[in-house]
Amino acid sequence: VAETLTPELRPGVVETTEDKSKSSLEPGYLVICWNDPVNFMDYVTHVFQLVFAWPRKKAEFHMRQVHEQGKSVLTRESLEKAEHYVHQLQRYTLHATMERDE
Amino acid sequence: VKLVRAAKDQFVFQLGAEEKHVLLHLLKLYPRLPPAHHRLSKEGRLPDPEASQRLLDEALAEQRAESKKKLHALLADPQRLKQNPHGWRLSLSSTEIEWLLQVLNDIRVGSWVLLGSPEEHLKTFNAQTAPHFWAMEMAGAFQMELLHLLEGKREA
Repeated sequence: VAETLTPELRPGVVETTEDKSKSSLEPGYLVICWNDPVNFMDYVTHVFQLVFAWPRKKAEFHMRQVHEQGKSVLTRESLEKAEHYVHQLQRYTLHATMERDE
Repeated sequence: VKLVRAAKDQFVFQLGAEEKHVLLHLLKLYPRLPPAHHRLSKEGRLPDPEASQRLLDEALAEQRAESKKKLHALLADPQRLKQNPHGWRLSLSSTEIEWLLQVLNDIRVGSWVLLGSPEEHLKTFNAQTAPHFWAMEMAGAFQMELLHLLEGKREA
């Protein structure tokens, strides 16, 4: 994720919804956003807010994960829902894929 | 680029003559990203990976064709871009701004791909790479302007 001149933001502890039990969602697919040096941090945050209807703080937390750890698991969904999210993220030209969860 | 008016769902931007020239030149480059760029999965462990990939390719191709049509219509509409003593006024709805962000990012990322997807700095700057570098940077500059304007509006 390309850095911009915006102030540094500390993600802190952010409550996420990924703690749903795995069994209730089987079979599961992870929607992952991967780091690249071209998409701006602000843009990635903006897209996460739009696609997942997340508050800014949560969107920034995942954007930071992408930037600092190389990827972020955005959500775990059924095949159809994961496909839908990847389509949405790729419409915005983010580097997103879906991978089968073990 | 300056936001001069934001009322309900209508945003009016003021552009200088040079900004308008650059924006129109950039938008003519759309679509910039090679069609086979997007992969649905890295590992490919999906029930029918080929069909799923085909579905993604078709959806993105359809979106790009629609966007291109929309872009032509927008640029041909005399009500969208009007000249005034200070330059040009561009009127857009919030949905159109979101769409314009997608278009600009396609141009930015597509130009980066055409540069060989450099991880950090561009290694070769010459007559071949300069236009792609220019398009990548200019698309990014317009994107950031729009994002900051949207953010300012959200906080206001």
